[in-house]
Amino acid sequence: MAFSGNYMCTSFKQELMQGTHNFTNGSGDTFQIALYTNSASFNAATTAAVFGAGNNEVATSGTYTSGGPAGSTATNSLVNVTPTTSGTTAFTDFTDKSFTSATITARGALIYNSSAGAGSNTANSIVVLDFGSDKSSTAGDFQIVFPNPDAANALIRIA
Amino acid sequence: MSLDFKLDIPRYDNVISVKTTNNRGFSPEELAEECVGKIISVSDTAPPAIRDQAHAFEKNVEKLVAHYMRRSIESDRTTVWNALTDAGHPELAELIRRL
Repeated sequence: MAFSGNYMCTSFKQELMQGTHNFTNGSGDTFQIALYTNSASFNAATTAAVFGAGNNEVATSGTYTSGGPAGSTATNSLVNVTPTTSGTTAFTDFTDKSFTSATITARGALIYNSSAGAGSNTANSIVVLDFGSDKSSTAGDFQIVFPNPDAANALIRIA
Repeated sequence: MSLDFKLDIPRYDNVISVKTTNNRGFSPEELAEECVGKIISVSDTAPPAIRDQAHAFEKNVEKLVAHYMRRSIESDRTTVWNALTDAGHPELAELIRRL
């Protein structure tokens, strides 16, 4: 059981066609990020985020809140970039996310839609992110840097 | 004939990066470097003259952003100093000011 690379979840692709996800900044859905140790195992078949130590989510520390969307809406939420286009590519992204005053060791993350409704169930998975190795902060900042939101680099692109 | 669209993510590339600190936060210089990376991108295949000029501009913007970040921190410390002093914690206020 370990992270094995980055995956765009297949269920997410289907749900896009069903109108489940709205990435519009402000009026759209809320997207959150959960961090996991390397004991977690996610791939393209992952349909929902799971939470808590029993599911290898890292523990609450600093501004990171473990346990799922109910307790973490304010702290684990991402700021999404309203979808736009460039040439024939449509894309959306997230702004960098920092967890401060945190002692965390994480190997990867799962981004999920925490807004219920339109077919979403508060934990529908979007993308599995493999950090490549364990990343650790000790009483410091744990920052996830997302790619530039453009047609060549954005995290979610439809070309 | 079908019309394809592609929605995928590179399996093994580092599409995101993680930066961490131990027993401190990020410095203005570290954050300024990151900030400028979001503002300016220079292709490695750009003509050398343009690429060098862009990199020089990048460095100048980085210094400027770091300068204003430091100013922002100092200014916020003043606000915190006043809030703590008004709340009757002058010693704590001094500690914050000297950071």
